[in-house]
Amino acid sequence: MAIAPQRLKSSATNGAARVNFTLNGTPVAAQPDETILQAADRHGIEIPRLCYKDGYRPDGNCRVCMVEIEGERVLAPSCCRMPSEGMNVNSTGERATKSQKMVTELLLTDMPGQTTSPYKRASELDVWAGKLGVAAARYPQREQWAPDLSHPAMSVNLDACIQCGRCVRACREEQVNDVIGYAWRGEHAKIVFDFDDPMGVSSCVACGECVQACPTGALAPANGVALIEPDKKVDSACPYCGVGCLLTYNIKDEKIIYVEGRDGPANASRLCVKGRFGFDYVHNPKRLTKPMIRKEGVAKTSALLDPDDMWTAFREATWEEALDLAGGKLRAIREQRGPKGLAGFGSAKGSNEEAYLFQKLVRTGFGTNNVDH
Amino acid sequence: METIDITGGVPLGQAARKMPVAGDEGRRKKRRGQGKGRPVDPVALEEVRALLGDEPRRRDLLIEHLHKIQDRYRAISAAHLNALAEEMRLAPAEVFEVATFYHHFDVVKDGEAAPPAVTVRVCDGLSCEMAGAQNLLAMLRNGGYGEGVRVITAPCVGRCDTAPVAVVNQNPLDHATVADVDAALESKALTAAVPAYTGYDAYVAGGGYALLKACVAGERTADDVIATMENAGLRGLGGAGFPAGRKWKIVRSESAPRLMAVNIDEGEPGTFKDRFYLERDPHRFLEGMLIAAWAVGIAEIYVYLRDEYAAARAILTAEIAALQAHAPVPLPPIHLRRGAGAYICGEESAMIESIEGKKGMPRLRPPYVAQVGVFGRPTLEHNMETLYWVREIVERGAEWFASQGRNGRKGLRSFSVSGRVQKPGVHLAPAGITIRELIDEYAGGMLPGHTFYGYFPGGASGGILPASMDDIPLDFDTLNKYGCFIGSAAIIVLSDKDTAKSAALNMLRFFHDESCGQCTPCRVGTAKAVALMERGDWDKELLTDLSTVMMDASICGLGQAAPNPYLCVYKYFPHEVS
Ligand SMILES: Cc1cc2nc3c(=O)[nH]c(=O)nc-3n(C[C@H](O)[C@H](O)[C@H](O)COP(=O)(O)O)c2cc1C
Ligand code: SF4
Ligand code: SF4
Ligand code: FES
Ligand code: FES
Repeated sequence: MAIAPQRLKSSATNGAARVNFTLNGTPVAAQPDETILQAADRHGIEIPRLCYKDGYRPDGNCRVCMVEIEGERVLAPSCCRMPSEGMNVNSTGERATKSQKMVTELLLTDMPGQTTSPYKRASELDVWAGKLGVAAARYPQREQWAPDLSHPAMSVNLDACIQCGRCVRACREEQVNDVIGYAWRGEHAKIVFDFDDPMGVSSCVACGECVQACPTGALAPANGVALIEPDKKVDSACPYCGVGCLLTYNIKDEKIIYVEGRDGPANASRLCVKGRFGFDYVHNPKRLTKPMIRKEGVAKTSALLDPDDMWTAFREATWEEALDLAGGKLRAIREQRGPKGLAGFGSAKGSNEEAYLFQKLVRTGFGTNNVDH
Repeated sequence: METIDITGGVPLGQAARKMPVAGDEGRRKKRRGQGKGRPVDPVALEEVRALLGDEPRRRDLLIEHLHKIQDRYRAISAAHLNALAEEMRLAPAEVFEVATFYHHFDVVKDGEAAPPAVTVRVCDGLSCEMAGAQNLLAMLRNGGYGEGVRVITAPCVGRCDTAPVAVVNQNPLDHATVADVDAALESKALTAAVPAYTGYDAYVAGGGYALLKACVAGERTADDVIATMENAGLRGLGGAGFPAGRKWKIVRSESAPRLMAVNIDEGEPGTFKDRFYLERDPHRFLEGMLIAAWAVGIAEIYVYLRDEYAAARAILTAEIAALQAHAPVPLPPIHLRRGAGAYICGEESAMIESIEGKKGMPRLRPPYVAQVGVFGRPTLEHNMETLYWVREIVERGAEWFASQGRNGRKGLRSFSVSGRVQKPGVHLAPAGITIRELIDEYAGGMLPGHTFYGYFPGGASGGILPASMDDIPLDFDTLNKYGCFIGSAAIIVLSDKDTAKSAALNMLRFFHDESCGQCTPCRVGTAKAVALMERGDWDKELLTDLSTVMMDASICGLGQAAPNPYLCVYKYFPHEVS
């Protein structure tokens, strides 16, 4: 379905009229612009969903969220359908449940081994199969696609693809990178990069939004890390630039194993390649983690220092000592040459607040407007 | 048999030489926007520009432009596809997914061989299969034609009354034999012969376009004409049977600009009535279309014609031009669009997607196309034959049409009859006629040596009924209680030489090939049904469970109706599966 994309947020509450309808025998009120599924969520009624992802344009293709609407010939996808006044909807009756289970079983049938995803722990398909009590797949399996491990950061295993199109929406509508397509047709319809190229040589910019969108792990961070259960999850902000994208670090044995975008005002759960995949520096033994001061008598040079041999030129210091030293020197320059002797050049990695503090320091402390980043 | 080499035909273009996918090096230098991954080949770009000329690069023309490349090079190389993406300012992935969706585009990836210059398509639809298509196919495949010819199968090409049919490039061969194919290859008869038909002058000489002129001149009001259509009770002849007059009223009440889309995709196996009328009296349809456009207040008209109908395309192209050159009244713009081999594009919303230059994936309803159709505008969507009857109904009056009919039903139906009868073809008969009456009175009875065994009352989707149920009036609504429907009135007659079981398998294979692949019940369901049915020993529990989810949860009519053939086997031909 290719109607103009619309963002459906479940949280919207405004003065417009609510829609009263009946869900599983209970009267409920939907906000204007809310789908049956979103209204059900707010009322604590769980309807299965796979191709639906909160915040994305609902596409209505997987058909696991089907509900029965009184007076309609066929079932309706609750992720796309708006309730209307007086509508009588049933999401747990025999007819709706039958289709929900059958869709789940058909998708499970075509998973590798006809069972839980081998690429992602607690995949969304596995979770819903569990909740719906779909265990055995009784149908013959499709022919499978070969894996594509050409990308250093992501693995593509379409044998676990349920053709939900979330990755296409992620790439095309969320990130507007337009790399992923859904090519061919029918049973042979396939997720492709550009012209069905290996992901690693395609025009992919490695934002990883598709990986985050994929409900089964068909697209997953490389090396099977999505299978590992993290010891803890640490909510943080991306350290790379000033935009302030929120993210969550998944940590196992005190190591970051993978990163997920977290819903924040700047990023709506999206990330770029650096935030999502560029975290190896954190565990790099050569990373500077403490203040250091140049040793007495070691001359400054423009030559690059050997990171393994830092201590011939530097010694460890406390923050107090380092700050005193730097502050003292800046003050000395200002006293010697006046404010024109100083300028500030901040880091693009600083947050907005840090940038504010920095210019404050330069303007009031140094006394100059020569500040940039 | 001699080996015939036809590779000399058209060169695949210089640009088809292997284009490496950009490696790491290429990616460093990528441009923003189009073609980031692979560089655009300058030769291919020039070739594509030359083909497109000064035609607009609008997105909705993507399929038209793909046809230009396919026609010229008999394939679409990755280099050309990439150049087209660049030229149209589209992402390569989007162009690729559209091109690969349609069966008539041969997308050739880097390093792959181009297909041969000549393609022989053997129809393996049910009527052709009953007339020996598999045999013909096997003989042609062993025909030793060499590198220059490939032999493949095709779904129903809309000539079931002359089964079996083979199509050599664009040249359909009726009652095809190996000798016919040889002759066509030898004489390079690769295009469709255009049959004799009533052209513009002859149509006007016979009183044509007088009604349209009268309407536009104000001698009739739109309300009157719509009332006539309603009273006549003409229902949509594309399959769904929605009352035509009511549809006009609904669309007319929507906000302007309103558009119109005419459906000549005619892909339902067994159906060939639209082609029949187009190849005889195209202006009768065009006049009906323009009267509808006038009554509803239509700003622009899109006519979507299936690619298989090459002769009809030549006719329509010429006759629309003639009409525009001698416009009897001020005409709205008329755009003729060419399908590319996809049954699903007959489904109205899939057709609209295709008109917009996209994959033919049906849209979810609501909103209905009457409200949100082509380019998001309210759209009057009609089967070609529905419009074909407008002139006669308005001229002769609602009474005339409504007084036709039999067994309590009203109106006329154009039955496409094929299978084991003496006189297959389009038979215009009273609505409500029974299969027995239709075979005896119109189709010349059963073929010698064949005993009536069963019939498809409505193409692939409408189910199968046994000979014992030969007294049901054939019309909209009358078949519903048997789990069947008349659809496009495509009647396929089976005899004691056939089994319902293998006929059902043929149809399920068709649905499997033609599913758009969008929704799980149909994409996976048709595949599993074929796999189960091919086992010979049908698993009733699995097939029944499958039918439930397909009928209840598929997005469109294809998936919803796909289980009908096998459900009817269980219901009406239980001896075949016990
Ligand atoms: C899978 C599928 C295929 C269809 N194919 C055609 C077709 O080839 N031609 C057609 O006119 N209608 C076809 N239809 C019906 C159209 O969706 C639509 O109902 C019809 O064109 C409306 O026009 P009418 O009211 O004049 O019949 C098809 C429907 C489905 C579900
Ligand atoms: S790769 Fe994942 S997100 Fe993309 S269609 Fe397949 S299952 Fe859905
Ligand atoms: S029912 Fe079949 S053809 Fe229709 S939308 Fe679903 S997959 Fe496509
Ligand atoms: S979640 Fe509604 S159709 Fe997939
Ligand atoms: S033309 Fe072959 S089945 Fe219709």
